[in-house]
Amino acid sequence: MNELDRQPWIDDARALLDESAQAVDAASLSRLNRARQAALAQRRPRRQATWWLPAAGLACSGALLLAIVVWAPLRSTHPVDAAPGTGAAAVQSAEADPIPGDEAFEFYQDLEFYAWLDAQEQESDG
Amino acid sequence: MTTIASILPRDFPTPASTADRANVATSRDSTLDRFLKAIERRALRMAELATGSREEALDLVQDAMFGFVRHYAEKPAPEWTPLFYRVLDNRLNDWHRRRRVRLRWIDALFSRDRDAESDALAQVPDPADPGPLLRLAGTQAARALDSALTALPLRQRQAFLLRVWEGFDVAATAASMRCSEGSVKTHLSRALATLRRKLEAHE
Repeated sequence: MNELDRQPWIDDARALLDESAQAVDAASLSRLNRARQAALAQRRPRRQATWWLPAAGLACSGALLLAIVVWAPLRSTHPVDAAPGTGAAAVQSAEADPIPGDEAFEFYQDLEFYAWLDAQEQESDG
Repeated sequence: MTTIASILPRDFPTPASTADRANVATSRDSTLDRFLKAIERRALRMAELATGSREEALDLVQDAMFGFVRHYAEKPAPEWTPLFYRVLDNRLNDWHRRRRVRLRWIDALFSRDRDAESDALAQVPDPADPGPLLRLAGTQAARALDSALTALPLRQRQAFLLRVWEGFDVAATAASMRCSEGSVKTHLSRALATLRRKLEAHE
């Protein structure tokens, strides 16, 4: 015979526990209901978590494009700020003919010397 | 009263197409909802008896619902009840462990007179005796039972509630409590002896 069957007071205990479960107040039932819905919501696909992704991607691309469009002209007009008073033509010529370095200046200064040297070599060859 | 087993399908069909999968998922969701709704009151009372606080009990049942849905929702429906109680039992154990750490110094106050529990003759019930609850009236009996159950050690209380209230057999109780069947029998035997003694003291 089962140990539980030997003790009749256990049926009374079971009935009392059933009654206490049925007597749970409305506020607690409401919280249980919210807890149940929240637990079940874990299983549903999170649509609201993904809908904004394409929009965010588009916004980022737009911002990047805008940055390039704004930044590129600013960069190209930067020499104007560095040399105030010069016109657009001067800017274009400065971009087409950049300022030569120190070595190029020395070469132009010694051009006559190189011409003389060349002439001397030709005379010695002739 | 609707039993939990009566609302559960034996199992869900294997879905063949995407539409079938969606239908099975919806069907499983609604069955899960009904299952949790059927078990939540008992779970709340069990947690309340374990913690002595309705607020703590609500938090623990909510945690158990989340853990159960996350880990076991895809298991066959007939296995849900012991699995749910296993999750709840884990939460209750964790809660008691944390409480023990916080209130270690109070442990001495709760020490039991183990000599009476270990007396085998004292635990043998008298079949002719109607029992202590019958001698108490209405709300007094309910209060006495609550008080006696709350005072039980966690494992003894869980063994009693799962075996007596939930109607689990020894194997299902052992699976829910993650212990051996022998331990369940020992816990239950001690719980019955202690409850009987405490309820008689209320008379």
